[in-house]
Amino acid sequence: MKLKKVMALTLAAAMTFSLVGCGGGDAQTDAPAADDTAAEAPAAADDTEADDAADDTAADDAAADDAAAPAGGLTYASIKLGEDNQDITTTIKFIHHKTDREDDGTMADLIGKFNQMYPNITVETEGITDYQEDALLRLSTGDWGDVMFIPAVDAADLPSYFVPYGTVDEMSELVNFADNWKDAAGNCYGVGYMGNAQGVLYNKKVFADAGVTTLPKTPDEFLAALQAIKDNTDAIPLYTNYAAGWTMGGQWDAFLGAITTGDETWLNQKFVHTAEPFKDNGDGTGAYALYKILYDAVAQGLIEEDYTTTDWEGCKGMINNGEIGAMVLGSWAIAQMKAAGENPDDIGYMPFPITVGGQQYTTAGPDYSYGINVNASDENKAAAMTFVKFMVEESGWCDFEGGYPISKTAPTSFVFDGVNVVTNATALTGEEDIMNEMNAESELSFNAGGDAKIQAIVEAAATGSQSFDDIMADWTAKWNAAQDELEVEVQY
Amino acid sequence: MAAQANTLGTQKKGFLQLLRSRKGQQAIIIVAFMIVPLALLFTFTYLPFGEMVGYSFMKMKYIGDRKFVGWKNYASVFSRKDCFSALKLSLYYMGGSVVQLVLALYLATVLSFKVKGGNIFKGFMFFPYLINGIAIGFIFKFFYTRGFVFDTVLQWCGFELDNLPYWLKDQSINNISLVGTSVWRYFGQNMVLFIGAIMSVDSELYEAAMLDGANKFQQFIYIILPSIKTIVTLNVILSITGSLSAFEPPFVITDGANGTGTYFIVMHQIAHTQQKVGLASAMAVVLLLIIFAATILQKLFFKYVFKNAEDEDFNATKRRDRQLAKLAARKAGR
Repeated sequence: MKLKKVMALTLAAAMTFSLVGCGGGDAQTDAPAADDTAAEAPAAADDTEADDAADDTAADDAAADDAAAPAGGLTYASIKLGEDNQDITTTIKFIHHKTDREDDGTMADLIGKFNQMYPNITVETEGITDYQEDALLRLSTGDWGDVMFIPAVDAADLPSYFVPYGTVDEMSELVNFADNWKDAAGNCYGVGYMGNAQGVLYNKKVFADAGVTTLPKTPDEFLAALQAIKDNTDAIPLYTNYAAGWTMGGQWDAFLGAITTGDETWLNQKFVHTAEPFKDNGDGTGAYALYKILYDAVAQGLIEEDYTTTDWEGCKGMINNGEIGAMVLGSWAIAQMKAAGENPDDIGYMPFPITVGGQQYTTAGPDYSYGINVNASDENKAAAMTFVKFMVEESGWCDFEGGYPISKTAPTSFVFDGVNVVTNATALTGEEDIMNEMNAESELSFNAGGDAKIQAIVEAAATGSQSFDDIMADWTAKWNAAQDELEVEVQY
Repeated sequence: MAAQANTLGTQKKGFLQLLRSRKGQQAIIIVAFMIVPLALLFTFTYLPFGEMVGYSFMKMKYIGDRKFVGWKNYASVFSRKDCFSALKLSLYYMGGSVVQLVLALYLATVLSFKVKGGNIFKGFMFFPYLINGIAIGFIFKFFYTRGFVFDTVLQWCGFELDNLPYWLKDQSINNISLVGTSVWRYFGQNMVLFIGAIMSVDSELYEAAMLDGANKFQQFIYIILPSIKTIVTLNVILSITGSLSAFEPPFVITDGANGTGTYFIVMHQIAHTQQKVGLASAMAVVLLLIIFAATILQKLFFKYVFKNAEDEDFNATKRRDRQLAKLAARKAGR
């Protein structure tokens, strides 16, 4: 009898758990839906917020009338760090996503530096793990603190949440990417904490030891540099990170567009309408030249011996110690590589070695940007803007992270001399989905998880099973078949 | 009409009576108990499967419009290069499963007799099966890395590193390396199943065989193997179908790259990276049919192979049948 009871209970428990398992699956698919509500919530709160903002500006005017208070004409440009706002005594709160910097004490160091200049302004920080969602939810409450990294907010909603730093024109003279968070009136609401750029990570010491004194600017020069590393040092010239997968498609595809063609509209507007996007231009430009660098490097034995067992975590220490010459990764990786060993100063970053019409290009954009709460008190707004200006101009945080510089005047180790920094233009209205459709139909998946096609290049080059021109012909055939299938007009 | 109504009435009455009867009550209980598992089985197995078969006739992504395309997906499963060439890799895994079963059967036979430390050996050999497949993948990724575990051990044995191949890079052997991990993982489980079956063999049979002068090998062939044929058949069928759907080792160790993409890996890429859900569903249905066919063929094969083992002598049976028939005929004639 007892046994039966136990069995029955076990069975019941098993069934319940199997049901719970199914429920779990549902919850996951529900997550994006939660996102949506989060995105909608601010919109619903808009009206009241806007009213508050109006009240605040009224209060600002009043304060301005009283003179002395700086809030009325508060702009980023007008603040003189170390001189203005010394009389403010307040506490501001900064919420951010860099939990790693919160944990390793970097954040505390930065604030310590700030307090040397402004001892009366206390800064509380809070690192949030699930930042994007959490920040949106908090933003809708209005009472989240004074400074935050702006989450995904529509440009039209910016004035109801954040304080403008000044006009975009005015800000553009001080910082990069000032137009990233702008409203219709041309005010700037966000200043990035660091920028991300596309290029090649390399070890300066290895390049120097190999006798490479000037950074390569064309595919041929790059391959020559790799060959020099192979001949003159023990380092692996180019580490592919083949086995990790995402380090192949995700990183190499990122150079499509302006970097390889010099044309900002190529990637999102012309690519899908191009009949032969992978044809050999003959001058070391275009998608052909981009992927040929990889093919040639592999074919000439300029990569690691056994690409199938590359180790992403291990490569960080290896490039730091000078065992690797170069890796193709976005600038976000710089900080990780610097932190992975004892030679952070050896890590360098160079523009991608393709020159179009005598000019090198890179695409860059800001990471998260500082925004100041429009609902904060005038004193806190002034303190917050002072803090942001300090973080951007004086703290050196951006450089510490190895980011593309935000401030135009702060010292930076990020040297991209004579490189055109551009942004790939977005797709034309009504054509936003074509790239996705083409990616799926052709199964090439550019910038969309198409790791297998890049891995196939490495395999073909290593085994000699397929020539590079054949691979490109294959791609073109697939691309054209997808254009036919989806009835995409061929214009170029 | 009236008559019809009448029969209906009696039927109804009869049905109610039937429900009240012992038999009826039994039937109700049986249905009531079966309905829960059957409903679960239907909802979580056959309904999704039916949906998938439906998807295989459509051009669709996970979200967005669906378009009925008829047999087009099936046509492209057969016309695409990557789908069926991926099935060729299953031959490696089938070869591996033969090695695995022979090894397991051999060790099971040895360990089912009195062996010193037998239980410890059983434990060690069964242990890999308990490790998570993903963890095994990571273990072997480092195991096969140039100059790591495997190469080091081989160097102790006197091999030169320069003469050793790249276990995962060389396309002629990387599939064998991957099959090795799956053999390592599953042969312990097969062995334990075999030991369990061998335990059930009456030990008096061995004594009798020994008295008749049969050696260990003859004992194995004529006593053990026929006694455990059910479990052997089961293991072979499971291994072969498992080889057709190999996924974990290539997915974790090589990510399906470098010529190790099995049918499942290709299907996964098509379904999740390219989002061609219809095509992937068609691939799944085709694989299911292939597995059906393979299973039926094996069943037939074993039926043929074990027929002789079952009977003492095929001809003897025939003779006896003939004699019995004669006897019966004589009886009938009288």
